[in-house]
Amino acid sequence: MRMFNLSALLLCIGLLSGCIGDDIIMDTVEENLRISASIDTLGVGDTYQFEAIYTNNVGQEESTNIDWSSSDENLLRIDAQGLATGIAQGSVSVTANVNLADKTVTDVFDLHIADNTVVAAPQNRNGALRTTSSYVLQGNFVLRPDGDDLVLSFDDSYRASSSLPGLYLYLTNNPQTTSGAYEIGKATSFSGSHTYTIPGGDATLEQYTHVLFFCKPFNVKVGDGAFEE
Amino acid sequence: MQRFIILLFCLLVLNIQWAEAGGWPQPKGNGYFKLYQWWVVADQHFTDAGRIDPNVTSGIFNTSLYAEYGFTDRITAVANIPLFSRAYFNNTISGTTGATLIPGESINSIGDIDLGIKYGLITKGPVAISATVLFGLPLGNERGGSEGNLQTGDGEFNQMLQLDAGTGFKIGKLPAYANAYAGINNRTEGFSDEFRFGIEAGVNLFNNRLWAIGRLYGIQSLQNGDLNQGINSTSVFANNSEHLTFSPEFAYSITDKWGVSASFGTALSGRIIFANPSYSVGVFFNLR
Repeated sequence: MRMFNLSALLLCIGLLSGCIGDDIIMDTVEENLRISASIDTLGVGDTYQFEAIYTNNVGQEESTNIDWSSSDENLLRIDAQGLATGIAQGSVSVTANVNLADKTVTDVFDLHIADNTVVAAPQNRNGALRTTSSYVLQGNFVLRPDGDDLVLSFDDSYRASSSLPGLYLYLTNNPQTTSGAYEIGKATSFSGSHTYTIPGGDATLEQYTHVLFFCKPFNVKVGDGAFEE
Repeated sequence: MQRFIILLFCLLVLNIQWAEAGGWPQPKGNGYFKLYQWWVVADQHFTDAGRIDPNVTSGIFNTSLYAEYGFTDRITAVANIPLFSRAYFNNTISGTTGATLIPGESINSIGDIDLGIKYGLITKGPVAISATVLFGLPLGNERGGSEGNLQTGDGEFNQMLQLDAGTGFKIGKLPAYANAYAGINNRTEGFSDEFRFGIEAGVNLFNNRLWAIGRLYGIQSLQNGDLNQGINSTSVFANNSEHLTFSPEFAYSITDKWGVSASFGTALSGRIIFANPSYSVGVFFNLR
């Protein structure tokens, strides 16, 4: 009976000591505001609806009041909803502000006012990977539109450790966590150039600030790369 | 003969787990049974470069039955059966907002079972040598949790051939022994095969009541498996895991048949495996 009790005690140790606890990570990032506009030139008398993405101090997209302003009201007027109207020819800056309790987050977009509106071709977004762990991760990448889809390409300089089980890629506004990130999928290549296709509608070109490499089974960040501004 | 008896006693009293069964088979009709709890809780792991990186705190708890039974004086059946295996990882909490970013999860199941036969090649003389064939049955859960990243088993059927050599001696008046083993573990499902090795030595203290044992053992991957993108296993089940571990143990005989043991293991080096110490406590019974 005594040994039975000891055996039961062993089982209890297993059950009780295996309780799920909490691991706290520091995931604070700078608030960010990005004007997303596909226009080079606005025609005099034409209008254009500006939009901006605001992400808070943990990188989550958040709806908030954005103050829109023009650097020269004689050239461009813009209302509180970001609807701009070309007034006269010249160069002007559109500023978006989000006022927080202790600071103001700002983004500025430059454009020309001319006779006709000229839509800009979407700009590819570039970046370079860096490891934030002891695992190898390096290389340059480009995010570009491809029809309705996005394509994330890595060049020949790309290297990643193949030793990790379950290495995954994400697009994120907070490189400290996969929370709120868009999961591209499991890494399919560990050296050289290759691409990943992101279906249209899943993400937009300007939506995220970083590429994140994360080992899902170990729940550990491997590295990241910021898109150049 | 006295030396052989000492060696035999070692075998019966030791905290025997699979790799530490030693070079001596059980005599016919005799057996050794041990119910033990083994666990590791890890917030760091060895990387592929052998460095230590942090990870979300994860744990594995196995309540297992280890058994040896001598069918003949040379042939011993051995089994290691994780009756209850629990794996978990912690919640990941935002230090900024306090929100749960990744909820912790756990799974409970039976673990992978090892069954095998030990054959005594040389059972008399100064050195006892035995050969063991082991079959690892993948009865644990290799893809538990919402993301398939919790395991109580590796999901592969492996076969291991192991040779053990042991000898008994005295340190002063104290009985002592030493054992060494080496084995090849053939793994399936894309896992790399492994070379396993170990040495151990023990000395008997306090009138045959207490055995103090030191072990040094390791696993070397042969790196002949698939790349890890097809494998989701981590913790102690990852592919191409390697380690060199030091593990002291104490086994105390309460009666002639019953006893208790406790040990811990700390990896001196490793690759793709948890880096925190593991612990084990158990109750053993000698059938004579």
